[in-house]
Amino acid sequence: MGSVRMGEIVVSKRAGDELVARGLGSCIGLALVDRSAGVAGLAHIVLPESSETDRQPGKFADLAVPELIDRVCRAGASRRRLEAALAGGARMFELGELDIGARNADAVRKGLATSGLAVHAAETGGSRGRTMRVSVGDGTITVKEAGGELTILLDGSAGGAHLPRASATLEGAHR
Amino acid sequence: MTPRYTELQLDALRELANIASGNAATALSQMLGREVGLTVPRVLALPLVDAVDACGSPDESITGVVIPLEGDIDGLVLLLISTEGADALCRLLGVEAGSDIGDSALREIGNILGTSCLNALASMTGLNLCPCPPHLSTDMLGAIVSSLALTQTESADLVLVLDSELDVADEPCSISFVLLPSDGGVSDLLTPLGLAA
Repeated sequence: MGSVRMGEIVVSKRAGDELVARGLGSCIGLALVDRSAGVAGLAHIVLPESSETDRQPGKFADLAVPELIDRVCRAGASRRRLEAALAGGARMFELGELDIGARNADAVRKGLATSGLAVHAAETGGSRGRTMRVSVGDGTITVKEAGGELTILLDGSAGGAHLPRASATLEGAHR
Repeated sequence: MTPRYTELQLDALRELANIASGNAATALSQMLGREVGLTVPRVLALPLVDAVDACGSPDESITGVVIPLEGDIDGLVLLLISTEGADALCRLLGVEAGSDIGDSALREIGNILGTSCLNALASMTGLNLCPCPPHLSTDMLGAIVSSLALTQTESADLVLVLDSELDVADEPCSISFVLLPSDGGVSDLLTPLGLAA
């Protein structure tokens, strides 16, 4: 099982692999799948913006989004077939600090919009931790909260077009 | 700008953590009427991702009680209590685990342990510190620890974790007592000891 820890990006095209980002608090799990090609990638993003001194690609939204797109395409995905889902960005404690989770979610959405990708589904905000899983092969993406039910963000077994559907999903694209 | 710590600095921090958690163990023991054992603190200076892993399994369900610090040192005290441990503590205090009163009791434990820790730090360093009201969350360990650590550090590059285990005698209750100073908080602690970088 491909555990994707904070700041990591994992891409796979081996059917049967599972990519998992556990315990997402203010972090964002960004999943990109090309169901047709059977390629999937998951980034566990920690902060919105990289600095001069720290440029680990998976850690920062501004670097992770283009890096993840690049890596899934190099693994055989077609950009126009990519479907994106986000999870995380919670505010676990009201500590009077900036809401890092919300800033992360915004930064990832902006990055996707800049790259011309729509957000297929998202489960962000709130105050609960989440675990995100991506099934390589059929491209199913799920999210679960502690003690909560499993939410399906993308149902890989559902047939139909591999292009993002027009209704209710083009949150990032109209700018 | 990544702070690196010398052995001397880490030893000093370990000693601080030892005394602070020792005070906390005594306070907890008085509150519960039970013996409370204490492990030697670990002082970990690690990248955030490894610091979170060092605290436990990321999707393990745990109760975190947070006592933010205010005054001369920026940072927070975090208690990590397993589900079993929370049940045991509530039982010892005569309240129902998982209820509002149960959560209140755990917050109160946080308050008492946080305050005793602060008093120890203040007397060792001569600094002024005050605890703020505790927060509680029962959720995934990784989400709790990572989110908190990120409020204390700009870069999430190197995080300092000072961590002891408080064991309540004859109960399946082991509390992780974590002191998480902010980036600036570490030199706040080291300066009065004459060990600032």
